[in-house]
Amino acid sequence: MVSVINTVDTSHEDMIHDAQMDYYGTRLATCSSDRSVKIFDVRNGGQILIADLRGHEGPVWQVAWAHPMYGNILASCSYDRKVIIWKEENGTWEKTHEHTGHDSSVNSVCWAPHDYGLILACGSSDGAISLLTYTGEGQWDVKKINNAHTIGCNAVSWAPAVVPGSLIDQPSGQKPNYIKKFASGGCDNLIKLWKEEEDGQWKEEQKLEAHSDWVRDVAWAPSIGLPTSTIASCSQDGRVFVWTCDDASSNTWSPKLLHKFNDVVWHVSWSITANILAVSGGDNKVTLWKESVDGQWVCISDVNKGQGSVSASVTESQQNEQ
Amino acid sequence: MKLKEVDRTAMQAWSPAQNHPIYLATGTSAQQLDATFSTNASLEIFELDLSDPSLDMKSCATFSSSHRYHKLIWGPHKMDSKGNISGVLIAGGENGNIILYDPSKIIAGDKEVVIAQNDKHTGPVRALDVNIFQTNLVASGANESEIYIWDLNNFATPMTPGAKTQPLEDISCIAWNRQVQHILASASPSGRATVWDLRKNEPIIKVSDHNNRMHCSGLAWHPEVATQMVLASEDDRLPVVQVWDLRFASTPLRVLENHARGILAIAWSMADPELLLSCGKDAKILCSNPNTGEVLYELPTNTQWCFDIQWCPRNPAVLSAASFDGRISVYSIMGGSTDGLRQKQADKLSSSFGNLDPFGTGQPLPPLQIPQQAAQHSIVLPLKKPPKWIRRPIGASFSFGGKLVTFENVKVQSQQGAELQQHVFISQVVTEKEFLSRSDQLQQVVQSQGFVNYCQKKIDASQSDFEKNVWSFLKVNFEDDSRGKYLQLLGYSKEDLGKKIALALNKVDGPNVHIKEEKQESEFLPSAGGPFNISISGDIDGLITQALLTGNFESAVDLCLHDNRMADAIILAIAGGQELLARTQKKYFAKSQSKITRLITAVVMKNWKEIVESCDLKNWREALAAVLTYAKPDEFSALCDLLGTRLESEGDSLLQTQACLCYICAGNVEKLVACWTKAQDGNNPLSLQDLIEKVVILRKAVQLTQAMDTNTVGVLLAEKMSQYANLLAAQGSIAAALAFLPESTNQPNIVQLRDRLRRAQGEPVPGQESPQVPYERQQLPKGRPGPIADHTQIPRVPTQQYYPHGENPPPPGFLMHGNVNPNVAAAQLSTSPGHMHTQVPPYPQPQPYQPVQQYSFGTGGSATYRPQQPAAPSASNAYPNTPYIPSAPSYSGQSQLYAAQHQVSPPTSSPTASLPPLPSSGASFQHGGPGAPPSSAYALPPGTTGTLPAASELPASQRTENQSVQDQANMLEGPQNGWNDPPALNRVPKKKKMPENFMPPVPITSPIMNPMGDPQSQMLQQPSAPGPLSNQASFPQPHLSGGQPSFHGLQQPLGQPGMPPSFSKPNIEGAPGGPIGNTIQHVQALPAEKITKKPIPDDANKRLEFLYDKLREQTLSPTIINGLHNIARSIETRNYSEGLTIHTHIVSTSNFSETSAFMPVLKVVLTQANKLGV
Repeated sequence: MVSVINTVDTSHEDMIHDAQMDYYGTRLATCSSDRSVKIFDVRNGGQILIADLRGHEGPVWQVAWAHPMYGNILASCSYDRKVIIWKEENGTWEKTHEHTGHDSSVNSVCWAPHDYGLILACGSSDGAISLLTYTGEGQWDVKKINNAHTIGCNAVSWAPAVVPGSLIDQPSGQKPNYIKKFASGGCDNLIKLWKEEEDGQWKEEQKLEAHSDWVRDVAWAPSIGLPTSTIASCSQDGRVFVWTCDDASSNTWSPKLLHKFNDVVWHVSWSITANILAVSGGDNKVTLWKESVDGQWVCISDVNKGQGSVSASVTESQQNEQ
Repeated sequence: MKLKEVDRTAMQAWSPAQNHPIYLATGTSAQQLDATFSTNASLEIFELDLSDPSLDMKSCATFSSSHRYHKLIWGPHKMDSKGNISGVLIAGGENGNIILYDPSKIIAGDKEVVIAQNDKHTGPVRALDVNIFQTNLVASGANESEIYIWDLNNFATPMTPGAKTQPLEDISCIAWNRQVQHILASASPSGRATVWDLRKNEPIIKVSDHNNRMHCSGLAWHPEVATQMVLASEDDRLPVVQVWDLRFASTPLRVLENHARGILAIAWSMADPELLLSCGKDAKILCSNPNTGEVLYELPTNTQWCFDIQWCPRNPAVLSAASFDGRISVYSIMGGSTDGLRQKQADKLSSSFGNLDPFGTGQPLPPLQIPQQAAQHSIVLPLKKPPKWIRRPIGASFSFGGKLVTFENVKVQSQQGAELQQHVFISQVVTEKEFLSRSDQLQQVVQSQGFVNYCQKKIDASQSDFEKNVWSFLKVNFEDDSRGKYLQLLGYSKEDLGKKIALALNKVDGPNVHIKEEKQESEFLPSAGGPFNISISGDIDGLITQALLTGNFESAVDLCLHDNRMADAIILAIAGGQELLARTQKKYFAKSQSKITRLITAVVMKNWKEIVESCDLKNWREALAAVLTYAKPDEFSALCDLLGTRLESEGDSLLQTQACLCYICAGNVEKLVACWTKAQDGNNPLSLQDLIEKVVILRKAVQLTQAMDTNTVGVLLAEKMSQYANLLAAQGSIAAALAFLPESTNQPNIVQLRDRLRRAQGEPVPGQESPQVPYERQQLPKGRPGPIADHTQIPRVPTQQYYPHGENPPPPGFLMHGNVNPNVAAAQLSTSPGHMHTQVPPYPQPQPYQPVQQYSFGTGGSATYRPQQPAAPSASNAYPNTPYIPSAPSYSGQSQLYAAQHQVSPPTSSPTASLPPLPSSGASFQHGGPGAPPSSAYALPPGTTGTLPAASELPASQRTENQSVQDQANMLEGPQNGWNDPPALNRVPKKKKMPENFMPPVPITSPIMNPMGDPQSQMLQQPSAPGPLSNQASFPQPHLSGGQPSFHGLQQPLGQPGMPPSFSKPNIEGAPGGPIGNTIQHVQALPAEKITKKPIPDDANKRLEFLYDKLREQTLSPTIINGLHNIARSIETRNYSEGLTIHTHIVSTSNFSETSAFMPVLKVVLTQANKLGV
C-alpha cells in the first residue's frame, strides 16, 4: 500500500533536511546541511537535476513551493538567518529575493494559500515570525511578529483559504473577504494561532497548550469543504496531537492525542485529502495514520523507505475488515 | 541571548529532563558572601516560563535552610514518566553532610522537606553526580579522597568505589560515565583524575598531565563516546580544557586553549556532543566543540566570573550561569533579538540594593566590579554551527497524487566507513484498494458498454433490498420495454394482471374490474340489438327518446345522469361528440364516489399530475406505476421527477430514499445525486463510489434512452464528480481521475483539478519549462499609470495565465478528452466565456498580480479578435440544441469592455457586434498602419434573402476547383493564426466544415507567450478542436509597426497588385447565372490583368475562393450577401470607392469571423482597382 516508485539520489554532501514536491508532483526540491537547494524533475520515475541553488551560508532547513499561478517559485530558509526566494526565469533558476530580517536561524517557511497573493510566513529561532508579501516590482513588504515564541519558532503552517460564510454570499467580482490565519509552533511548547486583523496587523488569536516540550512541527489540514478545522502538531516530547475546531465562531480547539512516540517527532504532513497524516519520528520511522470510523487514529502502515517495501501493520487489516 | 535573571549568589540545579515544567533550584552557596554578609541560607525553586517575555523568573518556593551548599544536583529518582514526583534534590553541605530534599514538598510549601541526611563525609562535599542509568545511585566526593556511592533507596550506608587514592586530596569533581553505568571518574585540584570500575571496586586508570599544573575544576564524560572525557584547569597558567581518550591515556587527545585565565566550570551538552560550555576567570563563557577545539559561541556576558554553569537538561538551547556578582542568568544559545524583551530596569537593580544597607550608611553599596555594560547588543547571533537538535534528520511530506516524499539520514556502513545516504524516496500511498478496484470496474464497464451485465452483478451482490431495487431500476434502462419492466419491478406485471383479471371475470364481477366491465358492456350492448321499440312516453325513458330523436344529445345525457343511468349517459355522450363526452365524464366523476374513482378520473382525463401531486405517499409505487403506464414520453420524466420530489420533501426517511427510484425513472441525475447524498455519509470513499457508480450508469442510460445532452453537468454532480476525482487522484489513479472528471463544465475547481491532473500525469510542459506566467509582468499593473478600469475582469486574468498554454491550450484542449463532438465543442466554446465571468473566479487574487503587461503585449491581438466573440451564437446556431447561446453575448460585452480599456479598439461596439472594433483593427492589419476609423453607418437596403443558389447549382468542375481552392483558403488561415510565420503554402489541406473553421474563440485568450510555437502543427494535431486555433489566432503585435515580417504573408500579395487575374479564369466564367454566380462573376470580371503584370499570389485567390464557398454553402448572413451584391454592382459601374464604402459597412456591421477570411482581400482588390482606375 506504500510502494516506492522513485528513488532520487540527491548527491547532497550532508544531511538532507527537507524534500518537497511542487503543486503537480512533478518536481522535487531538496535542501541540505551542505547549504544547497536542489531541484529535480522526477516525472515518470526519472530524476533530472534542474538546478543546484547556492546562496545560503548555512544549512538549509526547509523549502516551500509557491502556487504555480505565480510562476515557478521556491522559498528556502536557513541557519544563516536568511530566507531566499528563488524563481525560474527562462528555464534557469535564480535568486529573486533575499530576506535578512531575522537574527537567528530561520526554521520554517510556508506560502499562504494562493488566493491571498504571494505571502510567505517565516518562523525563526529568534522567536519572531515574519510575513513577506509581494507587492510588485520585485518588492516585498515585511511584517514581523516579535516574540511569537520565546527561544524560537520551529514551524509555521497556513490555514486553508476559507471565506467566512458561504462562497455564494460573496458579491461576485469582489475580492472575497478572506480571514487569513496561520499556526506556529515553538520552543515555548506552544502552538499559537495568528489572525490578520482588519488593519492588516497580525494578532495572536489562540494558544494551544498540550505539549510538554518543543513543538517541532504544526500542519494545518487542507480544507475538504467541511466546517471543521484541523491542525496536527508534533513535539520533542514524542506526542502527536490532532486539534480540531468544529465551530469557527467559538474558536475552541480540542486536542486528541494521536500517539506518544518514544522519541522526538520531527514532522507531520497531511495528505491532500486531509485524511491521512504522515508522521516522521526521531527513530527514523515514518508512520501513516488515519482516523477510523469511531474517531480513533490508527496507524495504517510503517513506511520503510530503504527497502522500498512496506510492513502493513495489524491495524491496517482491521481497517480493511471494517 | 539572556532570557532570565535571578539575583542570587547560589549553586544551581535544573530539574531533570523528564520534568515539565522546567524548574531551576538554587541553594545559597557556601564560601561566598554577598553584600549583606548574611549567613542565612535558603533553597529556592524557580520556574522557567518562556512564555513570559520578562527577565524575571517566577519563584515557586523558598525553603530556609540551615545549610549553605557547595554543590546542588537534582536527580530524577522515583520520578514516574509523567513527572508527578519531581525527583530528589541532593545537596552537598559545608560540614560533610549530604541532604536529600523533596522538591515537590518544597514547592508545596511543606515544612518537612528533607527526605534524608547523612554526614558521613568529613569535609565539605564539593562533588556530586547521579548515575543516569540507575538514578538511585549518587556519587559524592569530599576532602581526604573520600568518595561514596549512595543508594537513595538505602541511604544510611554508602559504598566506596575502592581504596582511597593516595596521597589524600580533595575531590573537586566526580562524574558517572554516560555510556557505561559502572564507570565513575573523579578529579582533584591536584590535576589527577581517577577512573573507577565499580564492578572491580578499584581505580582502573589514572589520568594526569605531566606538568602537574592542571588544577582540575571540571570533569565531564563524553555524552556518546564512552572512553572520552574532558578535564578543565582552574590554573591561570594553564587555562585549558584537556580532552582525554582512555584508549590512549598517556597524553591528552586535544587541548582547548580558548580561555585567557583559569576555567572555573564546564558543562557538556547531552543533546549535542559538539557543545561544551566553559566559563573562566577571564569572565568569558565559551561554547566550543571539544571534538575540534573550535569556539562556536561566546556568550555575551558581563565582566563577572561565573563559577557554575549548567545546561538545561530539558531545553537543550538553554543554559544557566551563576556569577560572583550574585546573579544567576539563563541564556539561550540560539541568539535572537532582545528588542522585544523587557530588560530589567536599571533602577530596579539599584533599588534592590537600596534595601540592603547593612551599614546603615544611607548609601547603597555599589555593585561589585560591575562596570555598567556598554550599549546592549540588541541582536545576539546564534551558534556558529547549528546544534544537533535543530537538524531535522527525517521527513515525510505528502504531495499531489497520493505521493509521499520521504528522506532519512541513515549512516550506511561501507568500506570507506560510515556514509550518509542522500536519497529521497517517492512512494505511492494507496489506502483504498476496494475503492480503486471498483472504480476500475466502473471504468471498464463504461468503455465496454456492458451495462446490463454490470447492473446484474450489482443486483446479485446487493446487500439490501433497496440497493437491489436501485440497480434493478438502473438495469431496466438498458433493456427493451423499459417502462414495462419498471412496472414489473413495482410489482405490476401485465401478464400476472391479465391472469388475475381473467380469474376475476370468471368468478363474479368484482369492483376490481369495473372499468373493463363497463367497456365490455358498452361493447356488447349495440351488438345485442334486435328489433326494438322506440318509446316516447312521458317518463324519463320517453323524454330521453324524444331528446334523442331530436338530436338533443345534451338533454338526453342530462336526463340519463339525472336518472343515474350512467352507462347510458356516457354512451350517449360519446355519440354527442368530444365536448359533451368530456362534460359528461366530469359530471359522472363528480357524482361517483367509488374508491378508485380518482384513478379512473386520472386515467380518463389523462391528468396524471393530479395523481402524482395528491396521492397518498404510501401509494407512491402505484402512482409511479400509473405514470409508467400512461404518461406520454414528454411528460414522463417530469412526472417521475415530481413524485420523487414529493417523496423527498414530504416522506419519512424511508420514502425519501425511495425517491431515488423515481429519479432514476426520470433520468434526473442531479436530483438522484442530491437525494442520495442526503441519505449517505458522503465522506467515506466507498459510499461515494456507490453513488458514482449509479450516477455514471444512469447518465449512460439517459444518454441512450432520452438522447439528452448529458454533457451538461449540474453543480452538485460536478462537485461529487470532482470529489471523486480528487479521491482517485489521492490514491494515485490520476488517469482514472481525469476520465471521471466532467468534461463540459467550467467550474473553476474542476478546471483547476483537470489541469493539475494533466500536469501531474507527466505530460510535457509546453514551451520547455518556460515560465508561462512571467510574474515580473504580473506586477506591472502597479507601475502602470492607467488604473484598472473594472475589477470584474481581474479574476479572469490569473486563470488565463495560470493554465498552461502551448500544444494543448487547456480550455479548448480539454475538449480533446474523450469523445467530443463538434456540437459539444461549439457549445463549450461559446459557453465558457459566460461561465468564466459569472462564476466564482478560479483564482481570485489581488489586483497587483494582474499581468496586464502580458495583455498589453497581446492586447492588439485580443482586441482585434474580440469581435469574433459574437460569432459564438452563429456557430452555435448551427447546432440548435446547444443551450449556451445566451452566455456568449455577455462575454463579448466583457471583452469589449476590456478592449476599450486598452484603447485599442473603438469603443463603439455593442455586445452583439453591430459595430465591433473590427474596422479599425482590420484596417490596421491590412495597411500595417494605424487603423482607419470606421466609416459612418450606411443605410443599405435590406437584401433579398434566399437568393443563394445551392452548391449543386455550380458546375461540378467548379466545385472541385473550389474545393481545392478552399483548402488553400484554409491554409490562408495560417498566417492569421500565427502572424509571425511566413505563409507556408503547402500546408496540409483540411477538409472541414466551414463552421468549424470559424469556431468562436475560447474565452481565454491564451497569453501569447509562445507565439512561435508552431500553430500550424497544432492545427494539424487537433483538427477536431478548432478552438485552439482561434485561440492562438490573436495577433501578437499587430500594433507594432516593427512587426512587419509578420505582415509579409498578406502584405506581399497586397503590395503586388496583380491578384485579380485568377478572377478571370475561364473555368469560373462558367458559373451559373444565379445572383451569387453573378456576384462572383462580377468580382471575377475585374480586369485584373490590367492592374498588374505580376502574377497574382495564391493567397488572394484562396481567400476569394473561400468567399465563393461560403456563398455556395449559403452560410453567409443576408446582410453580407446584400452588401456583396452592392459591391458587385459598384464594381460593375467601376465605382470602386462606393464599393469600398459598402465594404467598410459590411465589415463594421457583420460578424468578424464570418467575414474576416475574405473581406480584406476584397478590400485590397477594390483599393487596387480604385487606385489604378481599371
